[in-house]
Amino acid sequence: MRRALQSMRDGIGFDTMLVILALSYLFVFAGLPLIYNVVISFQTVDVFSLGTLLHPSAGAENYENIFDDRQAGTVLWNTIIFTLGSVAIQFTLGFALALFFHQNFTGATWIRGLFLAAWVMPGLVVGVLWNWLLSGDFGVINHVLESLGIIDQPVFWRSNPDTSLYSVMIANIWYGTPFNMILLAVGLSAIPEDLYEAAELDGANAFQRFWTITLPMMRATIGAVLALGVIFTLQQFDLFAAITQGGPAGSSTVAQYWSWELSFREFDFGRGAVISVLMIVVVLFVSLFYVRSTKAETQL
Amino acid sequence: MTAQIELENVQKHYGTFHALKDIDLSIPKGQFVALVGPSGCGKSTLLRSIAGLERISSGTLSIEGTVVNDMPPRKRDLAMVFQSYALYPHMSVRDNLTYALRLKGVSKADRAKAAQEVAGVIGLQDLLDRKPKELSGGQRQRVAMGRAIIREPKAFLFDEPLSNLDAALRVRMRKEVRALHDRIGATSVYVTHDQIEAMTMADHVVVLQAGVIEQQGAPMALYERPANRFVAGFIGSPAMNFVPGVVTETGRGVRLDMPGAPEIATEIDAAPGRAVDVGLRPEHLAIGASHGTSFPVQVAAVEQTGSSCYLFTEGAPELLVTTDGTSALRAGAAIDLSIAPGQVHLFDPETGLSLRD
Repeated sequence: MRRALQSMRDGIGFDTMLVILALSYLFVFAGLPLIYNVVISFQTVDVFSLGTLLHPSAGAENYENIFDDRQAGTVLWNTIIFTLGSVAIQFTLGFALALFFHQNFTGATWIRGLFLAAWVMPGLVVGVLWNWLLSGDFGVINHVLESLGIIDQPVFWRSNPDTSLYSVMIANIWYGTPFNMILLAVGLSAIPEDLYEAAELDGANAFQRFWTITLPMMRATIGAVLALGVIFTLQQFDLFAAITQGGPAGSSTVAQYWSWELSFREFDFGRGAVISVLMIVVVLFVSLFYVRSTKAETQL
Repeated sequence: MTAQIELENVQKHYGTFHALKDIDLSIPKGQFVALVGPSGCGKSTLLRSIAGLERISSGTLSIEGTVVNDMPPRKRDLAMVFQSYALYPHMSVRDNLTYALRLKGVSKADRAKAAQEVAGVIGLQDLLDRKPKELSGGQRQRVAMGRAIIREPKAFLFDEPLSNLDAALRVRMRKEVRALHDRIGATSVYVTHDQIEAMTMADHVVVLQAGVIEQQGAPMALYERPANRFVAGFIGSPAMNFVPGVVTETGRGVRLDMPGAPEIATEIDAAPGRAVDVGLRPEHLAIGASHGTSFPVQVAAVEQTGSSCYLFTEGAPELLVTTDGTSALRAGAAIDLSIAPGQVHLFDPETGLSLRD
């Protein structure tokens, strides 16, 4: 007993306790819901049976229903476009801004800080903001485009099935770019200045220095930023809720929004769970990529 | 013959800070020049200005007769070895060595051949495929040197390249760097805060303080005829003793301002009765009367290194005396000191300038 207490005070007992605490927290609040979610995806769950722990089994029926749904193709395509488009443009803009502010001109730190204002806003607020900006009748964006002569008549961004997904994407890019910029700026500042000086004396021009020093040295950071970008974009819900509600006619519905619609609009929790299970599988692979990237980072 | 690197009246300002003042320096082809001085004296700024990493504020800087004031570093064709080595961590040793050749568009086969050759020169043939993080400090240092050699540049610039190595390796690399310089016959500019490195490696030593060249010349010339008190105290190890004194009536001697100190003959002309600072190197003081008239002092402390012995005397100013071998003297012992004739330096107490010329 005394030995156990002593180990608790200054032995591995204390370490073990800390690990168990953290793990049990994760298990109770993340592990169990995750498992329950997988279980539900194989059951028939409606509003009436929601209160009970166990529900009638549905076999693979929920999965079959989802894959047979005529909306599935659109949703899959929308999700791919939305995720890849958002991440690619966020990353490019974020990298460009990070490089720009890395030049350390007067006020660079200040202005970079201001960019974070977008990132700290709640998603619903950003959604409302872009609702106004994109509004067909009185939106600033239409006004600017019309003044510049790019369009002749107002574009109804949110209610036109051809542009509805892109109107959410624009808002999401605006929302996510500062996050990309900050992470990439941290990666940039971790590259020692004397490497650039050595490369310069070795005869490298600005482009060659970027290509042979900056990019390879940033590989780990870039991997991590891209992985996080995909994960966060797949989590994006607020902007859809605020801007298009997945419409019109499902033209801007992505997987995460569809899952919510099935569960909490149609109260078919089984099918809603199916989509989240499929998304978990995707995110799992992306997380593996993320872990590998950060591991490479610590090894450098 | 035009100088390989020539600086005329070069100034460098950082805002209100005047980092380099009126630098005039001419470096002939093939010479090994050391820039030496205490921290913040401007030696690194001077080197970085030559490299082009800093822009000079005024004056002219030319390389092989071409003014390069506004030329970017990549066009100057100089190679630099950094204190941190600045090896590219994501590249193998081979890729580090051949980076400059790759940028020049040299073919892969030729690059591999050049890497093999240079690796032979610096003794790293077996390590070409390693990454810098898998190398020891000394090996990294060699890669940094190899990266400079492979380019056959107009000049080599060294920024305290040995300061991150341990003492024994530093002494060995000192010799290797110099041998490499002689073999390649390149022009080298070497920055160091270690006057021993400067003295042992360079043909020409430039002593800097507060952005000003205090004196430049051959190492032994600086040792034997320091132009001012700063150079006298900086060059030579251990540092020179300074004792206030007065020039005697004849003008050909000096009396130290110490109890019992005799008149010392000098060959330096000075006004009789003039107050001076007398510089005496520790190695030019001897115990006993071997150099003629002697004066009594008391030993305050003794430090033995085995090969030589440092004696510190009681009272102010404290004198440091070095003798060869070991010594049986202990603190508190009374001894007589004598001064080697012709080894006395006189400086103006106000300006610090040598009275020799």
